[in-house]
Amino acid sequence: MTTVTGAAFCAALGLGLLAAAGALLPRRARPAAAGGGTAAAGAAAVVAGLAAMAGHPWSVWLPDLLPLAGVRLAVDPLSGLFIAVTGAVAVCAAVYAIGYTRPARDGTDDAPGLDGRAVQAMLPLFVVAMLLVPAAASVSTFLLAWELMAVTSLLLVVAEHRRRASVGEAGLWYAVMTHLGLIAIMAGLAGFAAASHGESFERLRAAAEGLSPAVRSAVFVATLAGFASKAGIVPLHVWLPRAHPEAPSHVSALMSAAMVNMGVYGIVRVGLDLLGGGPAWWWLVVLASGGVSALYGVLQAVVATDMKRLLAYSTCENMGLVLIGVGAAGLLSVSGARAIAALALTAALLHVVNHAGFKTLLFLAAGSVLHATGTRDLDALGGLRSPMPATTALFGIGALMASALPPGSAFVSEWLLLQSLVHALPEGGTLAAVTMPVAVAVVALSAGLAIAAFVKAFGVGFLARPRSAAAERARESSPAMIAGMVLAALACVAAALAPGLVAGGLSRAAGVAAAVAGPGGDPVTGPVTLRPAGMPSTMSPLLITVALLVAVVVLMAVLRAVTTRRARRRARLWDCGAGPATARMEYTATSFAEPLVRVFDDVLAPETDLDVTPVKESAYLVDSVRYRTTVGDRIEHRLYRPVLAAVAWVGRAARPLANGSVHRYVGYGFYAFTGMLILLAVTR
Amino acid sequence: MKDLLRKIMRTGRVAEPPPPRPEGAVPERAAELRGSVQIRHVDAGSCNGCEVEIASAFGPVHDAERYGARLVASPRHADALLVTGPVTRNMQMALRRTHEAVPEPKVVVALGDCARGCGVFADAYGVVGAVHDVVPVDVEVRGCPPEPEAIVDALRGLTGR
Repeated sequence: MTTVTGAAFCAALGLGLLAAAGALLPRRARPAAAGGGTAAAGAAAVVAGLAAMAGHPWSVWLPDLLPLAGVRLAVDPLSGLFIAVTGAVAVCAAVYAIGYTRPARDGTDDAPGLDGRAVQAMLPLFVVAMLLVPAAASVSTFLLAWELMAVTSLLLVVAEHRRRASVGEAGLWYAVMTHLGLIAIMAGLAGFAAASHGESFERLRAAAEGLSPAVRSAVFVATLAGFASKAGIVPLHVWLPRAHPEAPSHVSALMSAAMVNMGVYGIVRVGLDLLGGGPAWWWLVVLASGGVSALYGVLQAVVATDMKRLLAYSTCENMGLVLIGVGAAGLLSVSGARAIAALALTAALLHVVNHAGFKTLLFLAAGSVLHATGTRDLDALGGLRSPMPATTALFGIGALMASALPPGSAFVSEWLLLQSLVHALPEGGTLAAVTMPVAVAVVALSAGLAIAAFVKAFGVGFLARPRSAAAERARESSPAMIAGMVLAALACVAAALAPGLVAGGLSRAAGVAAAVAGPGGDPVTGPVTLRPAGMPSTMSPLLITVALLVAVVVLMAVLRAVTTRRARRRARLWDCGAGPATARMEYTATSFAEPLVRVFDDVLAPETDLDVTPVKESAYLVDSVRYRTTVGDRIEHRLYRPVLAAVAWVGRAARPLANGSVHRYVGYGFYAFTGMLILLAVTR
Repeated sequence: MKDLLRKIMRTGRVAEPPPPRPEGAVPERAAELRGSVQIRHVDAGSCNGCEVEIASAFGPVHDAERYGARLVASPRHADALLVTGPVTRNMQMALRRTHEAVPEPKVVVALGDCARGCGVFADAYGVVGAVHDVVPVDVEVRGCPPEPEAIVDALRGLTGR
């Protein structure tokens, strides 16, 4: 069986490279070849991941593939989970991309740039890189895969840079943030490898015990910073709400549902597995940043009026929830409550899976709307139910899954997370007694606000009347795009109704993390009814859903029976007697969020501009009123602007150093080299 | 808060003792409402004299709510329309649509001399006619403006209390 994992994984890599070669085909055939190949690679990766989660690990060492270090790959249940998730997202996104990137039939260039050779080749390469990251088993392989993932995704983000100027800016932010993250990770892992005299993960794992606490903490903090920036954790999230909206939608889905997971993978792999856990403050930092990220992300999602920006901030929120689970797991393992720590980690991993499902669906549906209307602005959308019934229904399913209410899939994982946080109290000690209730409140508040955000996205974006001419002209997307979304929706529904099916695999994945490996027995059991180990509570998503459906049917029957007593009458929609009702009278995304903006005024700090121009003759008669309100990203404003200004100042101040003289530049090189040699000689 | 409570304590009850119930049967359509009548007020072109008296009828002294009549904010919530003023051209369509929007069974009360027969505004260029020229009227209240007691009497005629 071990060979199944290896064969499927190698097949996934091979198919991905083959799909990239498919970009050499003529323009018409390119999307189908690259998309189909990527989908096949994704399917193979799902098989490999599931086989690994079922307990069939696989590893290989190819010493001659790369100079000096070689390539070391190992697929264990934890890697398997992330490989399977990435593969599943890739299948949906690639099938969707066949329709999304296809050139328009009538010769007009519908999506310029998306069917280009480079863009088509990057998609499978991006997927291959994301499959390699969790499979890497040595520092050099890991860093190589990580950088490959960053570069391919960056090239995909800027695919439409000729169309919109904002793409370039988003790409710049992403490039800088992702490379700063790489530097942090590289510094941490290189230090780790140097201290343990070897760079394979096995060697690191064995040497981690013997390292001094200072080195361990330095490694953890450096890698945490890098991984958190990839996961979009506040305050390192700034690239995410820029890059996700500007990337082509299938790429947004891949980035938001699969790539950000790699940040979580890194934290779990390095913190809980390689380092084998650590002092409580590490995990308090993780938990606190997760909590801040969850709240800040969901608040920004509530006020966002750009559909894809809303989804991007929702990613920040969900990754925050995952980190709350990871942090709780680490914290509880320190105080010895290993069974509950394993449950918290399992809940976090389940949330990674669920988030990947619904975020793929939502980004693909948002892309379908963008493709049909050309706008992402919720205030200009609406009325899509009749022209785009499939997209509307699928986005509705996605929004339901993202809300932490039954029968959504997020409900299951957040319920498990809350169970682990609530039951942490008796065993967790004083620290848990203080932090866990706060964490519970954070999870509950962000779950509630997420519902408001998705009610807004669905209600304002799809229902009521169209608010602009572009929304009126919308047409349903092509069958390939709908097929991609349907696949994602089916996966979401399966995860929501029968999460117990993957419980065994998740438990095994959580068990890889040495620090929280339970004393025996899976943290969650049961195919239909979920039973967290050692707790009195149980929950069955399937039965809840059936009960909900029965309740709805009974309620509708009762209402029908009661209302037939009186004759029905068709009446005009009440428009205050004035009429006719226009789209201008509808709720907009801005007005829907206004009460929440007011409540969270101190956090969001909205900027409002009111400009009243009186007529020339009298100051009392108003000629025109202009009102503008924006809710910016306050963290970006307060934290990043000063840094950017300082960097720009340093750049200006250093300009005299580069006066164009070649002799001077050669001199710089010589003195720098000599200085380094002296430094080495002194410190050796 | 303390001042408010003290004022409430010092003022006590100012409502007048309920006068005897007016004679006459409740109109057939209003009988279905069983003593609870939700009212939407429509100003079809009034000089606002009637509005002042309505406010007084629902104020603490006459307190029409204790007989089961209540003002509401939308015709969709209402059982009865309380129309004041002659119907002007600008309000003709709005009055008709408001009447359409009230669910069955519905009652229309024309309040004041203008609503009954245009009053001093009869034959003015902006006036379409009395309320009964636009929507069917069930109850009329005399007066220019009608006294609050008359308004309360008419509403008690609808609620039957």
